[in-house]
Amino acid sequence: MSRFRGPNNEGILLVILLVLVLGMSVANPAFFSVSTLFAVLRSSIVPLVLALGVLIVIISGGIDVSFAAIAVFAAYSTVLLTEGDPLGFGIVGAVVCALAIGALLGLVNGVVIARFRLPTLIVTLGTQGIFRGVLLTYVGAVYVANLPGPMAALSTADLVEVTVGNRRTSLTAMVIPPVLLCLLVAWVLRGTMFGRAVYAIGGDPEAARRAGFRVARTQLTVYVVVGMMAATGGLIFMIMGRSASPQDLVGSELDIIAAVVLGGASIFGGRGSVLGTALGVLLVQVINNSLILAGVPSAWQRTAVGVLLILGVGVQALAAKRSATKVHAHDEEGVAA
Amino acid sequence: MSASEGRGSSSPRPDPSVDGRWSGLLGRVQVDRRLSRMAVLLVIAFAFFAVQNPQVFLSPINLQNIMVASPEIGVLAVAMMLAMLTGGIDLSVVAIANLSAITMSMTFTAIAASDPALAEQSAPLLVLLGAAVGLVCGAVNGILVSRVGITPILATLGSMQVFNGMAIVWTGGSVLYGSPTALTAVGRSTVAGVPMLFIIFVVVAAAVAVLVNRTPVGLKIQLQGANPVAARYSGVDSRSVLTRTYLLTGLLGGIAGVLFLTRNPTASADYGASYVLLVIVIAVLGGTNPNGGFATVAGVVLATLTLQIIASGFTAIRLSSFEYAIAQGVILIVVMISDQVRWRRRGGRPPTGRVGAATAPTPSPSPSLETDHHDQHHPVSGGTP
Repeated sequence: MSRFRGPNNEGILLVILLVLVLGMSVANPAFFSVSTLFAVLRSSIVPLVLALGVLIVIISGGIDVSFAAIAVFAAYSTVLLTEGDPLGFGIVGAVVCALAIGALLGLVNGVVIARFRLPTLIVTLGTQGIFRGVLLTYVGAVYVANLPGPMAALSTADLVEVTVGNRRTSLTAMVIPPVLLCLLVAWVLRGTMFGRAVYAIGGDPEAARRAGFRVARTQLTVYVVVGMMAATGGLIFMIMGRSASPQDLVGSELDIIAAVVLGGASIFGGRGSVLGTALGVLLVQVINNSLILAGVPSAWQRTAVGVLLILGVGVQALAAKRSATKVHAHDEEGVAA
Repeated sequence: MSASEGRGSSSPRPDPSVDGRWSGLLGRVQVDRRLSRMAVLLVIAFAFFAVQNPQVFLSPINLQNIMVASPEIGVLAVAMMLAMLTGGIDLSVVAIANLSAITMSMTFTAIAASDPALAEQSAPLLVLLGAAVGLVCGAVNGILVSRVGITPILATLGSMQVFNGMAIVWTGGSVLYGSPTALTAVGRSTVAGVPMLFIIFVVVAAAVAVLVNRTPVGLKIQLQGANPVAARYSGVDSRSVLTRTYLLTGLLGGIAGVLFLTRNPTASADYGASYVLLVIVIAVLGGTNPNGGFATVAGVVLATLTLQIIASGFTAIRLSSFEYAIAQGVILIVVMISDQVRWRRRGGRPPTGRVGAATAPTPSPSPSLETDHHDQHHPVSGGTP
């Protein structure tokens, strides 16, 4: 049983997700269809990529509210820079450009946080204002309706196309990057020294330092990586939206953080998993989709996610209280992985 | 270990960056370094914009606009400061304020539909209703944080979504019009050139300052944030302290909602969407330690005014709101870094650079206790030149 639950309650999350899908399918047969599946997957792509970045920061014991600003900054600048594809590098050039900008902005966060040991929430609050302001003042403030060629070509690329009856539904090829990124991040967190260092400094920075981890350097790397993940997310967002606006993704920060926390990551650091985060993001998207199909006005979505978040962390908090009052029969199941 | 120990007992440290006259002046009103820095920043900002474009910036209309725009943000920032004082955070204050404004506007419109005269007379009741909505929302937060035991940042993140979601559902996403004319009249009235809204703000801030510094509850709130373990061993019931804190932040959110409606007879679910982060910035700039234990209402008031002056000054010298966002971020980070560098130079322990809000309490003596606590009866003393 405890094995199924998983170190971060991934099992419970999976059960909730399945029950929700089953319940919705019984209540409304229209829900159980390929097009719903594709719609959920499509809407999960960008949140998942951004959430993977947030997951890494949260595991390291920090929090980042500047990732949405970085995502837009990197993607929008890339769109402007690769307009007409001056160097002829195609999509690879665009991705490299976005990643470089994202890494640079992440470096700014990382340097301030690691060098001066400032609270991560406050620093990223400050930098998100700076990033957004610099983007709108010095880079550009206009809506770009036509993406550069290589990106526009990707907008319409489909991975699978299914014809049910006379309706054709297709799944965008953009689902591939998040899947690859999930595997990559899971491997990095579990199998590399960097990944273990992230868990270690999130669990206890002082213990990590004494164990020989370089705390400052790891923190710096974490924020650079988050910047690059955010840039990827922003680029995918603009490719899927077939347009670029510097006002995109504004205000989505807290929703993404909510999904990550719902996925079992501890806001205190040291705990969290890619599987949990993916399930958390999917759960939020399934709820959004099923509410619409159930005839509930989409206005209820925010409330539903909020209630879910409170229930999720509330149950955990109550369980933690109960186990704290008991004698410590057995230790926690080690560091989460 | 009482947080009031340092109050007025040690001499204020004059800031080397301040010239002698100012530090002497500020020293007499017993302000600590962060407060005096904020006051200096305010004076510099004011002087800078006054020199740059005196016709626009120093015009009575502009000065009144600054005083009309700051109260709603200021009250929200004071609420945020209270939550941070206990080492928590309240992300839901803006959502509470909007919900309160919407409830008031909806109720007014509903009464006015049947009896317009009665609706006009019910203004005082509507204000109470707005405050009550804030209290109820605050009670929800208080229960989640103190009884259920959810970390404040997550509890209020969730409740923010719920309150905001309810507001969206209720309004259908549209902007509501409707508020008693009496309320709008109060919002437009001035006393000796000072807008009534600003006077309300000063009164609310002074009340919170007295509560924090002169009452047992305030002392418990400070102690809870400075050192929860010491607080527990001193017999402080942390659950009741936290419940009261979030009730109070909820109430202040409700008051901010009343101010929203007083300033503009409109209410919507997404009004002030950028306020959540702005309010955190103001609280931290005002010298609030995000890890808890130290905050001054006066500092928060000064920070509110400073940011508002910079905002309107940027408009006066034709800079965009985006450039204002840059300035806001730069000021925040520079102020935080200068704090940190100073602590290191003094050989003190810097506050742990972890998640700003809601980290596990640090058992070591918090650096905030080294800083003087002082009288905060006059939130604007030394602030306006």
